[in-house]
Amino acid sequence: MRILVCCKVTPDFEALRESEWAAGAGSESEARVETRFTPRVLNCFDEAALETALRLSDQLAARGEEAALAALSVGGQETEPFLATLRALGFERTVRVSPGADLDFRPAATAALIAAAARYLGGGELILLGDRAGPGDGGTVPFRVAEELGRPCLSRVTDVEAPADGRLRVGWTADDGLRRATISRPCILAVGNAVVAHLRVPTLGDRLVVRHHVTEVLSPADLGVDLETAAAAGTCSLMGLDPVDRSRQAELIVGDTSRDRARAVYDAYVRKALEET
Amino acid sequence: MDLSREAVVEGLRAIAGADNVVTERHVLEESSIDRFRMFEGLHGLYTQPLPAAVVMARSTEMIADVLRFANEHGVNVVPRTGQTATEGGLETAVPDSIVLDGSGLDRILAIDEYDMQATCQCGVPLQALEDRVRELGLTTGHSPQSKPLAHLGGLTATRSIGQFSTLYGGIEDMVVGLEAVFPDGTVCRIKNVPRRAVGPDIRHIVIGNEGALCFITEVTVKLFPYLPRNNVFLGYTVDTMEHGFEVLREVMVSGYRPSVARLYDPADGAYHFAHFLPEGLSILIFLAEGPAGVAAATAAGIDDIVAARPECEKVDGRYIETWFADLNWGPDKIAAEREQILQTGNINRTTEVAAGWSAINGIYENAVRRILAEIPDMTMVGGHSSHSYVNGTNMYFNYFYNVVDCGPEGEVTKYHTPINRIICEETLRGGGAIVHHHGLGKARTPWTRDEYGTSYHMLETMKRAFDPNGIMNKGTIIPA
Repeated sequence: MRILVCCKVTPDFEALRESEWAAGAGSESEARVETRFTPRVLNCFDEAALETALRLSDQLAARGEEAALAALSVGGQETEPFLATLRALGFERTVRVSPGADLDFRPAATAALIAAAARYLGGGELILLGDRAGPGDGGTVPFRVAEELGRPCLSRVTDVEAPADGRLRVGWTADDGLRRATISRPCILAVGNAVVAHLRVPTLGDRLVVRHHVTEVLSPADLGVDLETAAAAGTCSLMGLDPVDRSRQAELIVGDTSRDRARAVYDAYVRKALEET
Repeated sequence: MDLSREAVVEGLRAIAGADNVVTERHVLEESSIDRFRMFEGLHGLYTQPLPAAVVMARSTEMIADVLRFANEHGVNVVPRTGQTATEGGLETAVPDSIVLDGSGLDRILAIDEYDMQATCQCGVPLQALEDRVRELGLTTGHSPQSKPLAHLGGLTATRSIGQFSTLYGGIEDMVVGLEAVFPDGTVCRIKNVPRRAVGPDIRHIVIGNEGALCFITEVTVKLFPYLPRNNVFLGYTVDTMEHGFEVLREVMVSGYRPSVARLYDPADGAYHFAHFLPEGLSILIFLAEGPAGVAAATAAGIDDIVAARPECEKVDGRYIETWFADLNWGPDKIAAEREQILQTGNINRTTEVAAGWSAINGIYENAVRRILAEIPDMTMVGGHSSHSYVNGTNMYFNYFYNVVDCGPEGEVTKYHTPINRIICEETLRGGGAIVHHHGLGKARTPWTRDEYGTSYHMLETMKRAFDPNGIMNKGTIIPA
């Protein structure tokens, strides 16, 4: 099975201080969060998609079938250490599309590049990607890619199995709970809150084996994509930032003994909750 | 021990009250280990003997009564507060031990803005004290990564050190006085004075005792002005660790006292700074702080020293400032780490040592070379120096491995202990100290005698004198 995983390297938004978010909350023309100095991480949903691909590969290998894994990223030089890690984990081919422009809030352009690169790589029977990336992401890229490639797309995927019949058993989060579906290839799966969210770690020996392998770097022109034209199909702007109120109220439960404290909790909260139900 | 498990619990209930004696199995299991056996614990496997009970201490008197009871009946006692120990110091090596928990003694007793000192009970979280004194424009100057979780008692018991140590010192430079309870129930108070010459400095019997001599119930620490507006963050790439150590040495020997002076090797550097650090380079990090003139002069002096080194290149200080703001470990990071370890089987461990300037690079190079050659499944081996002195520095080895082909209980014996052995052997060979600030715990006691040499006589004698029945945290510091 040929599996292509699209992944994005993003600033570690968790590492940004509140003051740095606040500094970005300017007027429409000025609104921008400074992330130049922030460490980079793999978008967590893409990380789950990558591990999903590796687990599929393991399943296929266990019954003597092969999976050809490729990883694709649209980004700059900061992406390279992550792609090197993927090569060490068994991604035979790593491709980076260097856009030469800021693609934040330009999902149509990003999707056009991904779709073109996917065609360049032979399509892939299964394309996996995270169903969104970071704060401010509208989550439209997977669907735009699916539309460009004319493939079915399922989002909010939690896990994927590859039974022997060649189809895929896919877990996904519906509005009313977890569902399972059987899907034929080719298809696009957008991974959400996955069961296994963390990417395995290659050993130093694994890295040594592929130390001479390199990323294939392509430009939009190489793929026949005009960014400005592509971006016209969908561009957003950062209008401003409002802090989320995370303040909580707290009440100190006091009492001389555990029994007294438990009684205080019961009287103050549990009894009321029981009465309401 | 002359008591059954049930009798131990019964005796403790009589002393501390049933409400303060916890015997639920999951609590006992979690109380039988610390972060040293974290991998086992994450998998719900507990290989150490279970304690009889955890006693939540409510007063110094209660602690004295519990210790007296344990001493009389030969029951092992493991003192603890914030439970952030990493070296097995909180493991209950003896069945039916008493875990004596001081986290409930959590009152800040006094903050003296004129004499610049604060007195706390042992269970005060360092973060709580720091938050309180910062409201007054002050700081403790103590900032270990465990600050959000660790308590004053445990920090003192393990000879903790913080990220700003080059300016403020380790906990031993900060603690001016304390209260401790010894196994026979004797309560000792050491008064708070700037200095005294009345014989040996007996604070050092208590500071770093790791619960093997006494229970620390109260600590008084120094305070300093908090002046973050003057902070200057500096960063420089450097071609080799050897050159990096030379720069660190020159900064220290020249008399500059940045609060932070660090050197990361390429592997550890890539782990933290891949967003700007070129592959294969090391990085030097400094933070100059204090009164405006001092901070500026310190930064300028360091800049001059590094400018004379063609192998160094300056980086934007905002990279360093942003990174530093997210360095500490709170409950959120502990929870994330747990998920990551369980899903990937990849675990991060550290071993910190210290040595003179002439030896440190050799220790670093030899240890890394041997770990790479002798230990399987490594995913990263590197380290950094983070605490420097005029005569030497520390090396904080930072390493990750995948735990494969063994059960959770095999992680320590297959990976962690062999790596500790390599680092301790190379450190001893270089004349260094096998522990810089985590404490010996139980993990590194195989090398206690070699570490102490002829001075082991003093350690043993002290243990016999203060804990003649050997009830205090058996197997910690002194090999079992």
